[in-house]
Amino acid sequence: MQYQTFLSKRYLKRRWAPWAATVAVALGVFSLISVLAVMEGFKLEMKERIRGSLSHLVVKGSAMRLLVGEDPLLQAARQTEGVEAASPFIETLAIYKSTVLDYCILRGIDPSTEPEVSDFDLYLLSDDEIEQLQADPFRMLPEDRPPPDPQRVADVFSLERRRQMLRWNLRGDAGVGFAEEAPPQGLVVGIEALRSGRLALGDIVQLSTYSPVSYEPRIGKFIVVGAFQSGVYEQDQRWAYSDIRALQQLLDLWDEEAQDMRISGISLRLADYSQASQIKDQIHQEISRRMDLDPTEEDAIPWRSLEVKTWENQRENLLQAVEIEKRIIAAMMLLIVAFAAAMIFLILMLLVIEKNRDLGVLRALGATRSGVVQLVLKQGMFLCITGAAIGLLGGWLLTENINAVHESIYRATGLRLFPPDIYYLEQIPAHLRWQDMVLVCAPTLIFGFFGSLFPALWAGRRDPIKALHHE
Amino acid sequence: MNDLQPALPVLSARDLCREFSLPGDRSLEVLRHLDLDIHEAEMVAIVGLSGVGKSTLLHCLGLLDTPSSGQITYRSGGQTWQSPGLNEPQRCGLRNQFIGFVFQFFHLLSDLDVLENVMLPAIVGTPKSDWKQRKPQIEAKARTLLETVGLAGREEQAPGTLSGGERQRVAIARALINNPRLLLCDEPTGNLDSSTSEKIHTLLRQLHEDLGTSILVVTHDPDLASRADRRLAMIDGRFEKSADHPSD
Repeated sequence: MQYQTFLSKRYLKRRWAPWAATVAVALGVFSLISVLAVMEGFKLEMKERIRGSLSHLVVKGSAMRLLVGEDPLLQAARQTEGVEAASPFIETLAIYKSTVLDYCILRGIDPSTEPEVSDFDLYLLSDDEIEQLQADPFRMLPEDRPPPDPQRVADVFSLERRRQMLRWNLRGDAGVGFAEEAPPQGLVVGIEALRSGRLALGDIVQLSTYSPVSYEPRIGKFIVVGAFQSGVYEQDQRWAYSDIRALQQLLDLWDEEAQDMRISGISLRLADYSQASQIKDQIHQEISRRMDLDPTEEDAIPWRSLEVKTWENQRENLLQAVEIEKRIIAAMMLLIVAFAAAMIFLILMLLVIEKNRDLGVLRALGATRSGVVQLVLKQGMFLCITGAAIGLLGGWLLTENINAVHESIYRATGLRLFPPDIYYLEQIPAHLRWQDMVLVCAPTLIFGFFGSLFPALWAGRRDPIKALHHE
Repeated sequence: MNDLQPALPVLSARDLCREFSLPGDRSLEVLRHLDLDIHEAEMVAIVGLSGVGKSTLLHCLGLLDTPSSGQITYRSGGQTWQSPGLNEPQRCGLRNQFIGFVFQFFHLLSDLDVLENVMLPAIVGTPKSDWKQRKPQIEAKARTLLETVGLAGREEQAPGTLSGGERQRVAIARALINNPRLLLCDEPTGNLDSSTSEKIHTLLRQLHEDLGTSILVVTHDPDLASRADRRLAMIDGRFEKSADHPSD
């Protein structure tokens, strides 16, 4: 045993004040770990929900000219290695009048192929679920829902469903202007649009929009045939889905030159999302190549400007904002750790002053300057490492049991620290990454080291003769 | 023929000076060209008024302070070390192995018990790799020393619970744990009453005779000085020649 270890043990065993620094470090690390874990959990949850509503990749045309050649586009995409499925879509902005005038992002999808590229079928609610979710504004879809049936997407836009909803509507009001044999096109809206009372199942909604081709205003009537819950509040409030063919008709997307309907783009699901960057380039090259072919050739696709984006590219601003927020909070919270390191510094300075005579005796007994430096440094680092280890363990335990802890606090105090209506989550998501543990522990140990180094160097420079003159 | 040659001193100081700088380009000369030899198993007492440089001399000889000029030679078992010329680890090594310190105010560590205080120089001087192997020997020796100074059974006590005389006995045991060639005692009884001082004088003399350790004691106490083999009086940074009285 080195004398530094021997003396450090004795000094720390008989004093409680140095342990205050350990408590401060532990609290700092604990707070940082917990906050980063919750923020990471939020980020993952949000990404998962956004990703579920979007496909892995989208090939999009310009807002004005869109893309033409749905079949060759889908063929080109599906032939690319790594692409599992492709489906066309239309996206536009529409306003509608219900109790108030409101707007929505209207997405036209192909009901038969959309479930292959997104989780829309997973988010689509049954009538019972709609009823349950409307009854409880905080309720989310249960985790143990039966696996989705892709056929439900086709069913919800089917003629039979539209008729059913119209019949149901006609019971209340006969003057809707539609016969049961020819119901309006179906519209699936977000659950929050129903919860807010702006829309209801069976409502006939008049959507107003502009054709991106002719710039003429277009008005269409749709019947609300279903609802979805993606878990992203904004989407559940603003997004609405209809059949792509109905929307193409409404927006007058016929392209005279190509003799085909325009589409906003195609959505793609990849076998392995980690390959997205490569596949994105391959698809762009392949479609561009086919757009450059002579229009008379079989594989030719009418030329339009296009871009290929991953779902993360599409929501880049939002995801970056969350990441930046996480970094800012981490940086701010590192101040707690810096404060703890300052405590180590102060406590060690006091210890050096208090033990000035002991340090002089040690020098007289043969301890070197560097030995005395090590003695103080070891104590500081021991306090810091112990605090970091306790904080890390505490943070991990809290992360693992955060919902049980939250529930206990709620039962004991009636206080909901995490109201689901605000965060749109039933449970607090928390995910502890090893990278975050390193991000917390490395600065803690660095701060602790520098917080200990100055008192240690100061101790090493103390004059043993002066120290021994004191009684 | 070597047997007939006188043994070389354990410590030799030659032309030792120590100056302290004062504000305004002034300086204070505390030690003035001192020469001193301390022989094997010799007990030397240095006496003098306060401020004549006794403690400064002790600090220089104990390698806690560096003389402004002059040379100090330490000898042990055929090995010689000369200061200046020693680096920091060598100085510390000599302080640990060659020299034992006894201070006026005992300077025991209050966070350690009596036994640990006695063991401390050995702990400082033992490499980590040898600690497990040497610990039983060091502990046994510390117990023996405590028994020698009359403190057997007090090993687990805190220094704060001991009387002044007992603390100084612990300090003496601590100074002897590494079998030093030279014991430097700075006013060892300066903080004790006369009765306790008498016991410490007796103890020091007895240890000196039993162990053969050379002792240099700085003291105001005439009784302790009279027990030394040689007595040196210091005046104004120099030894008073007439005061040098070899015991024989």
